Amino acid sequence: MSFFSRFMDGWRKYRKPGYYEEFDYHWTMAIDLDKCTGCEACMTACQAENNIPVVGEEEVARGREMQWIRVERYWEGEYPNAKLNFIPMMCQHCDAAPCETVCPVAATYHNQDGLNAQIYNRCIGTRACAVYCPYEVRYFNYYDHGWDSPLEQQLNPDVTVRGKGVMEKCTFCIQRIRQAKDMAKDDDRRRVQDGEVQPACVQTCPTKALVFGNRKDRESEVYQSMTDPRNYRVLDELNTDSSVFYLKKVDA
Amino acid sequence: MTTETFKLGYNDIHDDVVRSIVKTGPKYYIALATAGSITLLCFFFPWFYQLYYGIGAAGMNHPGVWGTYLASFIFWIGLSHSGTLLSCVLHLTNSSWRKAMYRSAEAMTLFSLVVAATYVMVHVGRPWFVHWAVPYPNQMELWPNFRSPLMFDVMAIATYITGSTIFIYMGSIPDFAAVRDRTSGWRNTMYTLLSLGWRGTDKEWHRLHWAYTFLAVLIIPLAVSVHSIVSWDFAMSIVPSLHQTIFAPYFVVGAIYSGTAGIVTVMFVLRKTMGFEQYITKVHFDNLGKLLLVLSLIWTYINGVELFTAWYSGTSEEYEALGYKLFGYYAWLYWEMILFCAVAPLLMFSTRFRTSFVPMLILSIAINIGMFTERFLIIATSLSRQYLPDAWGVYVPSLVEISIMVGSFALFTTLFLVFVKIFPSVSMYEVKETMATPKMEPLAPASGSPA
Amino acid sequence: MTSNVIGLFHDPESALTAAGELKGAGFESLEIMSPVPIHGVEAVLGKKKSVIKNFTFMGALIGGISGFALAAGTAIAWPHPVGGRPIITMPPFLIITYELTILFGILATVLGFIVSSRLPAFRNRVYVPESAVDKFVVTAPCDDAEHFKRAEAILNQAGAEQVRAMSGEES
Repeated sequence: MSFFSRFMDGWRKYRKPGYYEEFDYHWTMAIDLDKCTGCEACMTACQAENNIPVVGEEEVARGREMQWIRVERYWEGEYPNAKLNFIPMMCQHCDAAPCETVCPVAATYHNQDGLNAQIYNRCIGTRACAVYCPYEVRYFNYYDHGWDSPLEQQLNPDVTVRGKGVMEKCTFCIQRIRQAKDMAKDDDRRRVQDGEVQPACVQTCPTKALVFGNRKDRESEVYQSMTDPRNYRVLDELNTDSSVFYLKKVDA
Repeated sequence: MTTETFKLGYNDIHDDVVRSIVKTGPKYYIALATAGSITLLCFFFPWFYQLYYGIGAAGMNHPGVWGTYLASFIFWIGLSHSGTLLSCVLHLTNSSWRKAMYRSAEAMTLFSLVVAATYVMVHVGRPWFVHWAVPYPNQMELWPNFRSPLMFDVMAIATYITGSTIFIYMGSIPDFAAVRDRTSGWRNTMYTLLSLGWRGTDKEWHRLHWAYTFLAVLIIPLAVSVHSIVSWDFAMSIVPSLHQTIFAPYFVVGAIYSGTAGIVTVMFVLRKTMGFEQYITKVHFDNLGKLLLVLSLIWTYINGVELFTAWYSGTSEEYEALGYKLFGYYAWLYWEMILFCAVAPLLMFSTRFRTSFVPMLILSIAINIGMFTERFLIIATSLSRQYLPDAWGVYVPSLVEISIMVGSFALFTTLFLVFVKIFPSVSMYEVKETMATPKMEPLAPASGSPA
Repeated sequence: MTSNVIGLFHDPESALTAAGELKGAGFESLEIMSPVPIHGVEAVLGKKKSVIKNFTFMGALIGGISGFALAAGTAIAWPHPVGGRPIITMPPFLIITYELTILFGILATVLGFIVSSRLPAFRNRVYVPESAVDKFVVTAPCDDAEHFKRAEAILNQAGAEQVRAMSGEES
């Protein structure tokens, strides 16, 4: 091949956004707001699974809560006709994520599974990603938080513990995804089946409001939810192309 | 070109400026010691405390992840737009009133940039890794992410610091040579090295003129781009009230505005402390005042545009952000900013005001307070009210942050105090150019040259 | 060993006149030292070509190319997909190109200045300290005493306040 045609091939290849059009898996979550009771079990499970520090009452009062998933509550109307809406909000793993572009040291990027990955070791704590995220789901470690003994026995060995000055956020429990992929590879090099991997929040939800799976698998539960007529994405007008689909709560 | 003729001779200027460098009285040492100790106490010690305990020592929270550190960073970069940009523009337009003050203005630029660069390290969560933002070959084969607006920032500010240093140095070479002849000892060695053996021949002047002009031509678009790029740190996000195209001109105009006000302050202080009353006169303050007035009007207009486009868009998040800015938790700061930066400068329509020194000093300080508030408000009000109401919050600066802000001014003052004793703070050869031919002075005897 | 005749003048016009006359009388390598740049020197001593603009242009060109090469090259070296943007994107990379163009242009201008003005001066050159304060100085190298006398006469006639001799460049 001549130099020119090789150059043009390379040019065309690099003018594409990398893995964007050729995802290996495309992990998606669907949340049925009709089923969500606002119990916040998902928050507790996430905290246990991902070694999220407990920042303490004082810090939360100062607005420095540390949680990777939060349940947003919106009131409508006045007592006694008040209605409550719950929206579990975690990292939406946007395919066109505004937070990824702004990191100067490339500590966050979009991986081949469609996940927005955060590299704690590379983060220098500029906090620009938190500013750029319209969902505000990125949380910063303002202090080094420890675990008083014997709570450190409860830490998940599959997940690292972040130091101060580092940004963190929901990872769709990438450690579980990685483990599922490893097991599938050991087991005769097959693909991960639907329902084999569930993040902690999905596993814990008592009403099964959260559904997780690979959207490229047309048979998966999450694909059925995604194509439900009630589905919408939060802040879709911003074209962030998020991977979390919400099913609208229907008021009877 | 000579809009004014001083009643002084070349010799007087020469003596005055050299004396300002060589003769050091106790007042200078007291000032230097005070500035140095305030820097240490108010800037470095709280910063070390923060390095040890974490960014939590500052008042930042969720969602207010950016606070006074970034506001101060932008403020200092804005101040830096005064000297070099103004100096370059006025050089290319052949104006004469810049001659006496541009050296100190350029020094202001340089030291503002140094303070701003230190602020970057205060602001990031892990400053010991901040060198990763610099593109250097490493064994991890990792390069910074050049698509990031913060990376444009890194490149732009690095270029700007280099350009400003080179610019002020090149302009000072003839003055270094002049001072070299009148000093001895370590000073003589230093100035001999700095002046590169300059003799003042016609060839050297010709080359210097061309190099200086090319530098001025290059630095003007650079300065405009630097603060545009800083504004894009905000404008390239997609949150309401930050994602506006007006930000680039807004920040550039604001930078020149606050920078020029900074020049007025520094000129006032220099007049009083270095004895430069004859070189920095009412004419300079008058012209700076006119410039400030024009910039203030443009700034007011741009502010109005920002409010208008937010209102005209009709979207709920813009309305919320707008209402919060005007009537929310930080509303008193907003109206203070309008008072200091849009209303008070209208006083400069009066020539009498523009040519009085102390009123201009007070106004310039007020303008800078207002401009700092503007930077703070851009960050605090935008982050407080974003798209999702559940994530709304309020950010209050902590004591550590306020102390570091005070300390940054002391750091700037310390650097500037060191500067006035090394660089001739008034450009001798340019001021001489504005004068008529030198007075007739009897020559010293031909044997030997003055030490 | 050559010596240099040095004439001190108190205003630029008489210095220029003297230089013109010296040039007309056949003296070469004239130099006019002054505390401020004088206008009208080119008319007397001949126009000087400035090579600095070539340096600036080459520097800016190299800067532009290396800016884009840095950004695009590092993006290709480790493709890092962010934000759904292509690996080689134009708006950010053109900004990097722009900044480096200006940076290299500035550095090249300085280099051009240093090279073309033959600074720093490693060898001692003819220098009169009064020229930095308020005197305009005309110097010319003279081969022998007769040359020197002729030069001295011309300078005195043009209105020099003082005429001196100084030994020439040490070779």
